[in-house]
Amino acid sequence: MFFYLGWISEAHPAVPAWVTMLFVSILTAMILCLAFEEKLHAKKSVIAGLFAIICLLLGAVFGLLPFGPISVGGHEINLPVYIPAIDWGVIAIILGSSLFVDVTSRTGLFTWIAIRLTKASGGDPLKLLVFYGLMTVVFSAVLNNVTAMIIVGSLSGVSLKKLQQEDKLLGFLMIEGLLTNIGGLLTLISSVPNIIVGNAAGIAFLDFFLQSSAYVLVATVVTIALGSRLFGIYRLSNEAEREQARELVAGFDENDGIESRFFFWFGAVMTGLFILTIASTSVLPYIQDLGMGFVALSFAGIMLVRYKAVADKFYEAIDWDLLGFFAALFVVINVMEHALVLQLIGTGLSTIIEAPPKIAAAGLLAVSAIFSSVTDNIPLAAMLAKILQAREHVPEQLWWSVIFGANLGGNLTPIGSASTLVAVTIIHKYKINLSFAGFIRMALPYALVHIALAIIYVLLFF
Amino acid sequence: MTRIDQFESVFKSADKPLFRYEPFSVGSLMVLTDLDDEAAESFAALVGRYTGAGGLREISAQRVIKGADFATIEECLDLITGEKPDLICTYRGLHSDCWRWGQSLGSYLEVLTQTVSRPVLVFPHPAAAGTISVAEAGCRHVMAMTDHLAGDSRLVNAALFFTPSQGTLHLTNLEDQQVFERYMEAIDKIPSIDSAAARDSVLAQILKEARDYIQSCRTVVEEHGLDVEIQETVELGLHVADYKRLAAARDVDLLVMNTKDSGQLAMHGLAYELAVELDDIPLLLL
Repeated sequence: MFFYLGWISEAHPAVPAWVTMLFVSILTAMILCLAFEEKLHAKKSVIAGLFAIICLLLGAVFGLLPFGPISVGGHEINLPVYIPAIDWGVIAIILGSSLFVDVTSRTGLFTWIAIRLTKASGGDPLKLLVFYGLMTVVFSAVLNNVTAMIIVGSLSGVSLKKLQQEDKLLGFLMIEGLLTNIGGLLTLISSVPNIIVGNAAGIAFLDFFLQSSAYVLVATVVTIALGSRLFGIYRLSNEAEREQARELVAGFDENDGIESRFFFWFGAVMTGLFILTIASTSVLPYIQDLGMGFVALSFAGIMLVRYKAVADKFYEAIDWDLLGFFAALFVVINVMEHALVLQLIGTGLSTIIEAPPKIAAAGLLAVSAIFSSVTDNIPLAAMLAKILQAREHVPEQLWWSVIFGANLGGNLTPIGSASTLVAVTIIHKYKINLSFAGFIRMALPYALVHIALAIIYVLLFF
Repeated sequence: MTRIDQFESVFKSADKPLFRYEPFSVGSLMVLTDLDDEAAESFAALVGRYTGAGGLREISAQRVIKGADFATIEECLDLITGEKPDLICTYRGLHSDCWRWGQSLGSYLEVLTQTVSRPVLVFPHPAAAGTISVAEAGCRHVMAMTDHLAGDSRLVNAALFFTPSQGTLHLTNLEDQQVFERYMEAIDKIPSIDSAAARDSVLAQILKEARDYIQSCRTVVEEHGLDVEIQETVELGLHVADYKRLAAARDVDLLVMNTKDSGQLAMHGLAYELAVELDDIPLLLL
């Protein structure tokens, strides 16, 4: 992170306009390839990796890259030019927290919570929707969107089948998918755009939570209420049905996945401590210098002690595609910066950014949402963060516009975010027909409400 | 998307069938014999002594059918249809001497168990050596046996009905070892599956399901204040030989099993083999 920030502050050589345009076309091609990754049958890391190779080669050919040693703490060290281009702080947070969540899930803690809530609902569809909705938001906030969707989505499939309410599964999965992106707004570590933009804007974990929580609460309530009405998810009508549903969910055993009571409680305490430490990283002596990535990796390391003999199994389970994608993406964006592509986009966006503050905030939020709905929100967040960072005196409203837009755009299309893609995968797993256009038709009312609420919220409270 | 499967598996494993206690109700009993008046009454008395300690004490109506009452399977079925008994008590080799060779239950019994929905309590033939001592020993150790116990409340309720206070109910789930080995052999030949892990996990899971269900039976029995000890036997086995060994080892007085198979007209394969071979103890065929 610090290498990176130090490096980009160096002066760039003059770049001919046609070279900049060449890199614009490369960036456009990469975004298009990422948007059609399913059609290309290619993983994100391979797509971004290939473009990173092209960018580095062309960057070297055109003399755009600042080769040579870099200075760290007064010492000059030689590093390949693409190493300091990567935001290692972000990579460390993602790697550490996903490893921590993966190991902690083995304690049975998350499934215990999920099953307790299922039983507490008594099998009533509306109560189940409310509980699963809230659980999706909290899990998205504390874990990450994708893990939250996997846990709640797979439980929805199993429990609705048990309750013979499979006809409501589509509604549940759609609402949960949409709520992952709402929950993803709750904390600084809930989604990758939050981490990237929050870090660039210097927003502390606690400030982030305090500023976004009211919106998350309102949007959650609205989504569940609207979902209940549009998908026809209501309470059971008589006592006989309620009794039968209660009996059916009573068969779930929340203790089934708990291998060791001690490790279960250890996992619960560690999760609490993890959230607490991440929340207070910016004020904790020494820890604040080491950063959130250190905190995430340290907690993952401590949890791994329980599985020290089979730690390699957890390393295998890490989403290397995602991490490879981030690393390659940072390299691409870094080369784009040297090719003055970001400056060009920033100039293009200046019509919006330099408009009167309210119009600028609303416009940037809407543009971010539209772009993140058709392509990955991470490159968008990374680019916009860099463009805003390069400007002086950026109003807080604009940072939040990018955060809200990048997260909520994911609700417009099934490819808008990784968690909605997981929701669609589970929908198809249960042989429910849902096309790309079908998803948009169903999600559009919710997405428009979310974006409208976000614009109002950003204009009123920031 | 392996993590979706991973969590789905966790939730499916946590979804356990619970035992539902629904006390068996036997208001009327039919003692079906091919004997003359005196011998038929004598067999009925024997049945009474055997079942005296169990739930059958509360039977309000008992009808004894004698040899002269029917001459064909059709007449036998008509009698049952007319009487509508809750339980039929009879013996192997009805209207036949096949019981002497032990190769068959007899055509009456084979048709009866498959066409009548009522449970049938089958004794050794009254003329067989040891029948009287078996009946007089009473019913204290009952074994419910199946290859898939989880969720089979009817089987457990039936076995509980015959288990007297302070008696022992053996709940036995024997998974077919040959079937298991056949699948494991196939798994051994699939490079993408870790064979050793698959063997351990599959075996642990299939046995766990039965054990969890037995635990649920214990909890419900306790909740209803039934003074019955429940013992579990959950393992892989080669069926007939293993069931015979277990029945002998547990000193079982009554073996309870399912006989109907929705996919076929004949008696459920394993049940038939057992019903034929276990000819020295009473059987309750559901």
